[in-house]
Amino acid sequence: MKKKYWNNSTMFLFCMTFLLCIIIPQTGYAQENTSVSGTVISASDGMGIPGVNVIIKGTHQGTTTDFDGNYQIEVGENTTLQFSYVGFITQDVEVAGNTQINISLKEDMDSLDEVIVVGYGVQKKALVTGANFQIKGEDLQKRSTTNALQALQGQSPGVQITSTSGQPGEGLNVVIRGMGSTGNNGPLYVVDGVLTGDISYLNNSDIGSITVLKDAASAAIYGSQAANGVVLVTTKGGKRGPAQITFDQYYGFQSVPKKIGVLNGREYATILNEAAVNSGKSPYFTNDEIDALGEGTNWIDEVFKDDAVTQNYSFGASGGSETSIYSTSLSYLSQEGIGGGKDLSNYERYNFRFNSEHKLYDDKITIGENLSFAYTNKNGIGVGDQYNNSLRGAFGASPLIPMFDDEGNFYDTTDSAQWIDGQSNPYAQMLYGNQNEGDNQKLLGNFYVEFEPIENLTFRTSLGIDYNAYNNHSFSPIYNLSVYSFSKYSSAYQSIGKNKSLVWDNLLTYEFDIKSDHHFETLLGTSSFKYDGTYMNGSNANLIFDDLKHAWLDNATNAEGSLISLSGGPDNENKRMSYFGRLNYNYKETYLLNTTFRADGSSQFHKDNRWGYFPSVSLGWVASNENFLIDSETINFFKLRASWGQVGNQNAGNYQYLAPITYSNVNYTFGPKEGVLTPGAYPSRLANPDLKWETSEQINIGFDARLLNNKLDVNFDLYNKKNKDWLIKAPIPATAGAEAPWINGGDITNKGVELALNYRNNIGDFNYSIGANASYNQNKVGNIPTEDGIIHGETNQLYDNSSEFYRAQEGFSLGYFWGLQTAGVFQTEGDVNNYTNSDQKIQPNASPGDLIYVDVNNDGLINELDKKMIGDPNPDYVFGISLSMDYKAFDFSALANGVAGNQIVQSYRNQSNAFGNYTTAILDRWHGAGSSNTTPRVTENNKNWTTFSDRYIQDGDFLRISNVTLGYDFAKLNKNIFASQVRLYVSALNLYTFTKYNGMDPEVGYGISTDDYNFSSGVDVGYYPRPRTLLVGLNVKF
Amino acid sequence: MKKTYILILSLLTLGSCSEDFLDSEPITDLTDVNYYKTPQDAFDALVGVYDGMQRVSAEGIAVPLASEILSDDCYGGTGNSDGYGLQAIDEFDQSRSPSDTELFSGNWKAYYAAIYRCNVLINKLDQIDWGSDEDSRNSVESEVRFIRGYLYFEMVRLWGNIPLLTEPSIENLPQADPTEVYTVIAQDLLFAAENLPATTYNSVPNGRVTKWAAKSMLGRVYLYYTGYYGASDLVGIVSKADALGHLEDVISTSGHALVDDFSTLWPAASLENYAGEDNSEIVFSVKHTFTSDYDGNVDGNHWMVMFGMREFSHFPYGNGWGVTVNKKLWDAYGEDDTRAVATVIAVDEEEIPFNKIDSQREYTGYYNKKYTPMVDEDGNSTVLPGGTNFMIGQFQDYFVIRYSDVLLMAAELGSGNAQSYFDEVRQRAYQDNFTPLAVSQANILKERHLEFALEGVRYWDLLRQGVNVAASTISETTPVLSGGIPETKTISTSNIELTKGLQQIPNSQITLSNGVLQQNTGW
Repeated sequence: MKKKYWNNSTMFLFCMTFLLCIIIPQTGYAQENTSVSGTVISASDGMGIPGVNVIIKGTHQGTTTDFDGNYQIEVGENTTLQFSYVGFITQDVEVAGNTQINISLKEDMDSLDEVIVVGYGVQKKALVTGANFQIKGEDLQKRSTTNALQALQGQSPGVQITSTSGQPGEGLNVVIRGMGSTGNNGPLYVVDGVLTGDISYLNNSDIGSITVLKDAASAAIYGSQAANGVVLVTTKGGKRGPAQITFDQYYGFQSVPKKIGVLNGREYATILNEAAVNSGKSPYFTNDEIDALGEGTNWIDEVFKDDAVTQNYSFGASGGSETSIYSTSLSYLSQEGIGGGKDLSNYERYNFRFNSEHKLYDDKITIGENLSFAYTNKNGIGVGDQYNNSLRGAFGASPLIPMFDDEGNFYDTTDSAQWIDGQSNPYAQMLYGNQNEGDNQKLLGNFYVEFEPIENLTFRTSLGIDYNAYNNHSFSPIYNLSVYSFSKYSSAYQSIGKNKSLVWDNLLTYEFDIKSDHHFETLLGTSSFKYDGTYMNGSNANLIFDDLKHAWLDNATNAEGSLISLSGGPDNENKRMSYFGRLNYNYKETYLLNTTFRADGSSQFHKDNRWGYFPSVSLGWVASNENFLIDSETINFFKLRASWGQVGNQNAGNYQYLAPITYSNVNYTFGPKEGVLTPGAYPSRLANPDLKWETSEQINIGFDARLLNNKLDVNFDLYNKKNKDWLIKAPIPATAGAEAPWINGGDITNKGVELALNYRNNIGDFNYSIGANASYNQNKVGNIPTEDGIIHGETNQLYDNSSEFYRAQEGFSLGYFWGLQTAGVFQTEGDVNNYTNSDQKIQPNASPGDLIYVDVNNDGLINELDKKMIGDPNPDYVFGISLSMDYKAFDFSALANGVAGNQIVQSYRNQSNAFGNYTTAILDRWHGAGSSNTTPRVTENNKNWTTFSDRYIQDGDFLRISNVTLGYDFAKLNKNIFASQVRLYVSALNLYTFTKYNGMDPEVGYGISTDDYNFSSGVDVGYYPRPRTLLVGLNVKF
Repeated sequence: MKKTYILILSLLTLGSCSEDFLDSEPITDLTDVNYYKTPQDAFDALVGVYDGMQRVSAEGIAVPLASEILSDDCYGGTGNSDGYGLQAIDEFDQSRSPSDTELFSGNWKAYYAAIYRCNVLINKLDQIDWGSDEDSRNSVESEVRFIRGYLYFEMVRLWGNIPLLTEPSIENLPQADPTEVYTVIAQDLLFAAENLPATTYNSVPNGRVTKWAAKSMLGRVYLYYTGYYGASDLVGIVSKADALGHLEDVISTSGHALVDDFSTLWPAASLENYAGEDNSEIVFSVKHTFTSDYDGNVDGNHWMVMFGMREFSHFPYGNGWGVTVNKKLWDAYGEDDTRAVATVIAVDEEEIPFNKIDSQREYTGYYNKKYTPMVDEDGNSTVLPGGTNFMIGQFQDYFVIRYSDVLLMAAELGSGNAQSYFDEVRQRAYQDNFTPLAVSQANILKERHLEFALEGVRYWDLLRQGVNVAASTISETTPVLSGGIPETKTISTSNIELTKGLQQIPNSQITLSNGVLQQNTGW
């Protein structure tokens, strides 16, 4: 079986071969001429499997099943038949006089014969020499997630996937083997051969498989785009055989798993009193007044909504004749947000897919296409920085602000008591500030023609497109919530745009043997890529209607120029031309060599630096094929792998080799009339014609093993990834006067270990498997091309006027937290007086209850020079655990994932305000000697919080039970049922999270990002938590 | 079959023939390759220079604001729970707010960004095809060089020790000797004074640099340089007689004149009678209008909000962040001086029901009336409709040099008409209650304080009398109310003397230079 198929390298050839097998007349003859016939079906879907090898064990005689899975063979009486098929567990059956033998083949979930998708082709898993990971679409679908990436969480070692927000439809951060740049760290996504930036538009039910290419040798065939790894997605294709119709749905409710505690009215007033007293003032409230305050408004309860619905319906059909196969689907998914509810936070998606393939002219020519269309409606609340975060208000708003005034309008705090004056109703703020809706249409797909002029020589040309069109509008009403939060006029904003990328690939593959033991597969290819697009935005004021539905530019009546904004233009073009080649060689499937080379030219760079070259080599040795292991029962398979490769990154701003003249926002007002502007210009950026490709170089050593009678799988990898010649916008002295250009410089090293274990076994009908994977990564910046070796983080991020708190610096991990270290709280005046250096008080202005800062440089002062690394947002360990069982009609699975060794910065309160609310953590504050040595006293100027210290930092370790599912298949109970599968299941998503982090969700993918830098993470300024979902689902297959 | 191979091969080699495929160009940006060709390009770039000048006060702590906080007329004030950065400036004391090491960072960057725009344009003037229009070239060069000189003057006054660039450079430059900086300033201003047309001030739109602005600025630079550095002339380029000559020229030829009523210079003091931003007294101003937004348009007066009463508005005074005015200033005005009520908002005297004392730090009962946000009778900010908000939408111009300054400078430099110039300014101030006073250096400086209070002039007038004079005048120990609680405000002589009145250089620029830039003493 193995032998028969080892020389196929593409799906298509593979398919053709078994077609040939069907056509070739059966030459088997029998000694005793007993005829056995039957049908071979798949245990998973009950469909007949064509092309199954039926061999008389111990001989080379046999046949294959026909198109419907039927076979007939002449055998001797005491023979054993062996049924085998790629991807299924081989079964032996004694004939024992039977003339009718029907077989149900079980899918082998992790077969070594399995082929996996690699760059520009497929490869047999046993022969893969790089480090990569593949997951099947069915497994993703079982997770019931709205986004495939979320379903990938915890599945692959070395791949850290983090939600940037729990809001429906928000993106996920995917970091493969540690962050490698100060800019974009996301991988390249390739869907059906088409390069795209994101795969959140896909419905899980449309995905055939996802492969993550982790090491440089696997990714190098994608050259310029692969520095952060590659995620290859194939959508489901058709299968030869009768039509199969599937229907999948789920319906569930989401809730906030854990709400943060904030002070109620009484607690708030008590703390305010204490802060006033600590600041030398009289208390604001008497005890009687406090008692009368009651609970006040719990803003956290107000902004979150429980029982938000999530639902999905997918309808699919697939099948095919001998020359044509197809797969099509239609699905609808919607997810309401728990933050603000459906009106403010909602995601809705319609997907349509059609894939088909046809063989023409005696199978010499194959044509096909994969087309996916997604229509997405999305609206959402602000989940950005402190100024663009709609939930943050709920953490810090005073509980004494009422929701409504006496007339039932949202409460306006203008001219209110000082502790609420200037603050605004966060719910109303969220409602007024997030009147928006938008839709996006994406068409992604390709059309291809394959031609096989002579056997094993295939030419394939394909044209792919990724087309996006979007349309958003928003409404801002007239309102007044506080002296700082008001809008004097209504306005509408509208934006529209579209873009496309086209990719045209031409591939020539040829495979051949020399002396039968030397097998070669070669690939030569070219690829050209072009991206372009246009956009237009506008806003205007004074609408004739006052709601979102009518918030369009045509309904705006204002004619005052300063309230009108209008902009539009083309996106910057991006073009690439690539040439690449690959040679795979193996000797008896035991000694493996794989080498690739790619040359990429990019329009991003100056003519002289346009081309980048990306080589890779990898080697493998299948030790289990050697004589000393071939009969081992313990070691069934063992392959040692080693690889080296270089991949590139071209993600710099456009036209860096030119100095642009900027007219935008440049003007001056001459003369006495206000608002009259004369436009001007200046060269806004320096040119850098020397800019070239960034290179990521990686060495990988690993092994894949299958042990203990194929029950235990082990995958192990060690890697060292160095990103060098960083594309970075390095700060230059301000005296340069212009924006710095991107330059090459700086480097970072990620070293790590990955281990995946999977054990599967059965006890009678009870099958079970347990999987665990973990990876360790160490991230270290080598060099930053500035005089001080630092990329400084942004300021004003944690609260108004907050200082820098994260940075990229030589010798540290990217985005580490930089601040003062504390050593407890001064308990007494004596402690303050005794905290000295050469008899000088180190903190002369401190009082009991204030934080003790460590004088790191021992100079007797607490200042910037004492700041050091006090936390790291990058986890040391990322891990996942899975458990699955099935017994007859029941199935059960549980998944968990987590991280360890990272820290989170939490800042919910605006420290420039004395009267903001606190979380209940403040109840542990210092309020007298011995009361606390961790949480300082409260003061009105928040002095213990206005310097960034380790008091802002918490460990971010967590283990999340991400999915627990129990299913029951009625079709297994009753074979006569109308369908081959009728599975009803219940799932709990995000069931429970084990963590010491006291925020609502420890999976904080949010970080501070700017146009130029995107290396910060683990910053919680009021995080939209992931919901807990309970759902009921149904899978039906006809 | 052969044809097929050819087809395949040609597809595979596709693109190798067309390197042009990779060529691309920006569609919505010009580049320096195709720019700086026509006089229109030069004019647009000149507007870019004016825009650069406007931006230096948009971020950080604008010089007009810093000059007041540094002087004896204002305290840092602001919110009672705000950081102490402004107090550090006010008291010349880094230890008041040790973590505030970037106080002037935004300004430092904006100044050099503006200088860069000037230097690029000056260096590109020769490649522009001016045809026979040499006058336009001279005019553009004069305006750019005036602005460069003016910017460098503000920078070198504030920081003392700054890198000097006369052409664009990305090198890590050390600080220049102040003499070199003043040489560039003097040459730039002289070029503008000599090459701009000698037409009356209102022959160009208000806001454009005039010959008279250049000559007046020379007088100011001369007085400051010779005073602060104890020199006898301006770096050997401008003598006292030269400086006086330029000022006399302004007085005799420019067409500038005092407006009749001092209060009409200031919108909040005059309301309907406001003389406007193009009145005859304005020799040079930085123009502002309400079109600032958060998308990169910086046209508004972003610092004026700092002077507004803390979170409190009362027609016509708008709310702001509450930089407070020293009571000593209010007390300095004589009873008959019309400038007092035009200059200062006096809370109790005007019976303003101010009730945000708990939010106000260093409350004195006095605020800046010359530069205050305003509201209409309904309490709506006057920046609306049209402006984004009261913080960035303030549109009052900053009057850099008024004609009364020209008169007093000429008097101070020993004009033959010194007494009449001096009287002219005082007559306007006291109107019918004018009584003559003999002109003298001391009286002129006293008059300058009253005339230019809260306009960003006072601090430099003190400093040019010597650091010790400035130190003894500014230092004080006085009670203020912070959050409604009495507190003693102390500004010590020693800190002012230690810093020589110079300000903090942004720490990030020092670290970025890896120590090539040196911090000023005391910071």
